[in-house]
Amino acid sequence: MNRYPLFLLALVLMCTSCIKDELPNTECDITSAWVEGDEYAENFYEPSQMRLENISTTENELVFTVRSLISLPKSMPLYFNITPGATISPANGSPQDFTQGPVTYTVTSQDGSWKREYTVMFKEASLPTFTFSFENYETKESSSNYYHEFYEIDQTGMRQNIWASGNLGAILIKYNSQAEDQPTYSTPDGYKGRGVCLNTQYAGELGKAFGKPIAAGNLFIGRFILENVLIDALKATQFGRPIDRVPVRVTGYYKYQPGSVFTNKEMQEVPGRVDEASIYAVFYRNKDAQGNDVYLYGDDVLSSPYIVRKAQVATLPPTNDWTRFEMFFEGSDADEALLAAQGYNMTLVFSSSKDGASFEGAVGSVLYIDEVAISFDNDEN
Amino acid sequence: MKKNFIIIMAVALALISGQAMAQDTESWTIKARVGYSIGGTAPLGIPATIRSIDKFSLTPSLMAGADVSFPLQNQWGLMTGLRIENKAMKVDVTTKGYRMEVVKGDSKIEGLFTGHVSQDVTEWMFTLPVLATYKLSNKVTLKGGPYVSVLFNKDFSGIASDGYLRQGDPVGPKIIMGDKPGEWATYDFSDDLRNCQMGLEVGADWQVHEHLGLSADLNWGLTGIFKGDFKTVEQTLYPIYGTIGAYWKF
Repeated sequence: MNRYPLFLLALVLMCTSCIKDELPNTECDITSAWVEGDEYAENFYEPSQMRLENISTTENELVFTVRSLISLPKSMPLYFNITPGATISPANGSPQDFTQGPVTYTVTSQDGSWKREYTVMFKEASLPTFTFSFENYETKESSSNYYHEFYEIDQTGMRQNIWASGNLGAILIKYNSQAEDQPTYSTPDGYKGRGVCLNTQYAGELGKAFGKPIAAGNLFIGRFILENVLIDALKATQFGRPIDRVPVRVTGYYKYQPGSVFTNKEMQEVPGRVDEASIYAVFYRNKDAQGNDVYLYGDDVLSSPYIVRKAQVATLPPTNDWTRFEMFFEGSDADEALLAAQGYNMTLVFSSSKDGASFEGAVGSVLYIDEVAISFDNDEN
Repeated sequence: MKKNFIIIMAVALALISGQAMAQDTESWTIKARVGYSIGGTAPLGIPATIRSIDKFSLTPSLMAGADVSFPLQNQWGLMTGLRIENKAMKVDVTTKGYRMEVVKGDSKIEGLFTGHVSQDVTEWMFTLPVLATYKLSNKVTLKGGPYVSVLFNKDFSGIASDGYLRQGDPVGPKIIMGDKPGEWATYDFSDDLRNCQMGLEVGADWQVHEHLGLSADLNWGLTGIFKGDFKTVEQTLYPIYGTIGAYWKF
């Protein structure tokens, strides 16, 4: 009879340990996209450009690089890998006309309650412009936080999202913050019109707990892959876009003031050390010997063997007045055939703390940037 | 609910004191007890966002105390006492889209987590039960009634690792979490635990020898372990523990 309570206990444990049936997936991402068929290969410089792999969850614009939009077939099937159970419209693999501009795809989650829209476009490669006035920005929202995204407009009037920043990483631990609260934002006080403000911030108790106590303002040509920010922060910054000519010189205007206390990765003061801003540009080969894509990341952007030439501003003395900077590329020459085949990438990087990528710097360091221009061999001005 | 409980307590205490005076003190029974609890602090029904329970570790959920019981009439009696006990739990689960929020100072990370969660709960408390007893035979006594506990040491913390967070909702940015510090998220809701718990207890004492006995009890918490204004953990978690013990009857 005394076993009765034990029986009750067993009953309770049984009830509370029942695992319910798995609910349908709520996610609705495109994880990869590709053009299938050898007949389309001639439209691309490399077979690898027919595929977009590891598409970040922060991206809703998928861009394929083609040789020429004019020779692109009017009807071409595009295939996608999407979250298991999700559906995509227009249908996966259905032929679409991408020559008339972007095509919008909608992915609906398995449970039907979440949707994501993607625009897919085919573009001719290379940077759309070589002068950057930073007049174009969009205020975007992520989990009740706002931030600015810089973009350029190409000759055809199309928007080109060539600029990336670590804003989304900094936002991860924030709530109800404004665009001007972020490490990188558009300021009305540019050298001409609007400009960029980059500032180094304290990343809060949580940032500290993640071993990432500060967030430096940064802006660069490339992509920010938020997925990697906790497991390998240096792999979150993917640098470079294809460029079809060889850069010689970069000029622009800046203002800079370092923050007062320089701290290390543990957020401990490093006495005597003064924070520095950094501005540099790298021109590199974007294919390895096997024809695979090569990108530079935070850990090798200045040291990779694929670098052909690079430019760095030696010092950026603190100043409260807009001051001109100039840097020249040094290194070897580019291969003309490779250049014509979109075989080179270029990045341009600005940061309010030189070692911000390894979370060393001074909270409060502020760098302003405006009116940046890249000059070329055949451009004698 | 609380009011009813207080009334029950008051009536019970009045009965006890009344009876105590009326009874010959020799009919009192005092028992000193030790026990080991096993159970969980869990929602009633596991949410579908928890996909599997991977590991349930034994914890030092020890109990020690003493109680006094005396007969009322026929087989019925009353029992009350005081014990010190720990209702602890250590459990590893796999989640899919489990809502979590971690706040530290002025920073916050929240969203839906898919991956591995390692949860630790420790709740040291003093517990006062007021139980009706029914003597089933010379050896076996059944008991049941309410208890109230006051916590003096509490911990509710854990780690979310080996998976990813969708910030905000299922279409928010995805952040991969790794398997070591700096790559995973830790949380600590210890300060949000209630200081006072109440619940129901049923059990049995089995007099094996003249002094030595064995006991089995089930403690079913009726109050959630978190303060009312705490919303981060969506489900109300109840402490539900079974205790196997031994006692010495004086």
